[in-house]
Amino acid sequence: MFKKLDAYLEEISHFLSGREEREEILSEIRSHILEKAEQESGRVTEASLDSVIAAYGPARRVAEKYLDGRPIIAPAYKRYLFRYTTLLFSIHFLMTVVAVLFKKNFIMFPFIFMPRMGVIEAVMYLPTAFLTDLGVVALVLYFITQSGKDINLPWPKFAVDLDEVKPPAKNVLLSRIATFIGMIVMLALTDFAIYLYAKFQTIFFVNLNFTNPRPLLMPEPGRRISLIVIAMFAAGTLSLFVKLFTSSRWADVVSNGLSLVLIGLLLRQPFDNLFAVSVPAALLPKIKLGLTILLLFIAAMVTIELIKCLIILGRRQLAK
Amino acid sequence: MNPEIANFETEMNRGFLQILVLALLENEMYGYSMVRTIRDLGYEVEENTLYPLLRRLEKNAWVTSKWDVSEERPRKFYAITDAGRGLRTELLGIWKKQNEILKNLMKEKSHV
Repeated sequence: MFKKLDAYLEEISHFLSGREEREEILSEIRSHILEKAEQESGRVTEASLDSVIAAYGPARRVAEKYLDGRPIIAPAYKRYLFRYTTLLFSIHFLMTVVAVLFKKNFIMFPFIFMPRMGVIEAVMYLPTAFLTDLGVVALVLYFITQSGKDINLPWPKFAVDLDEVKPPAKNVLLSRIATFIGMIVMLALTDFAIYLYAKFQTIFFVNLNFTNPRPLLMPEPGRRISLIVIAMFAAGTLSLFVKLFTSSRWADVVSNGLSLVLIGLLLRQPFDNLFAVSVPAALLPKIKLGLTILLLFIAAMVTIELIKCLIILGRRQLAK
Repeated sequence: MNPEIANFETEMNRGFLQILVLALLENEMYGYSMVRTIRDLGYEVEENTLYPLLRRLEKNAWVTSKWDVSEERPRKFYAITDAGRGLRTELLGIWKKQNEILKNLMKEKSHV
């Protein structure tokens, strides 16, 4: 009958979905709004309803006043959300590393199933694992909150306590100057690497004689690996450039994510026929193992940094 | 009004509004008439706060309600129950005690 009133009540009804007394609540609000519009304007029109509806308040806020005040996760448990997620994800991360290194399926039924996967798949898998862990912990805390019971959850302490969000460095100017110098160094390194690549199609050499250089790697893998390393230099430069203008943790998240992908690409490069110089055959497996461990170690450090950034960002969101 | 003060006022009003409604409902009233009466008493109540409060009171059997469909527009009338009167007495007792404490405190301060 009154389009605006019907639309308003429908919106409230949407937010009250699932409540038994929804129809009665809506009838009462309808009755109130119609009566007020008539009393204040003499008769009910779309225009008079407009002002009465506006005074009654936004539909979502009206509906919220009828809903029980219990939060999804009790405020006291909110800090457990990221602490427990970090713990769970650390286990997940370790198991991923084990699954990648030993190239085997890994099952702890019914809790964890780690399929056999390569490095790239692992890099793609970890963010999903993080979100799953976050969801599982959130679900447990949700059920605890909804039970209404006073449960004392254990509070595990880490060697590096991530709980406290560190305040920004006091001397912002000094920190900016350091970032600027770092960026200039990285820019010079990137430019030099691009120059070498443009001239020799590789950036890896066994001598420093640039008039007659001897490449370290075979032409094809040398080109691929050089391009990946140049991309890493460029990403580092770009990240420092962005940090000159913002201290947002998101810049670190993007930079760390990109680094993980590039490290993954490096790990995927075939090792056979890699070197252009003669290397004793007995030494090759050791070099391969050493390089893999080094890259996995760097990947682990970057991942820890990435998780720290995500946790701090999550905590800041919660604090807001 | 300063938003901080507005927040405090909202918190204080919550308890006061319950006593006020329980006091008003000694006579049967419907929502809109309550809003008007409360305004005539010199106090403002948000309509979207009053109805959920009435629903909570009704859920706890402190007030009772019935729809009157004899008029052109149906109205839901509320009235206090015996349990509601008991609650009102308790709440008024608390309010008086709090008032007393504040009065005495302010008196002491004015003597210092």
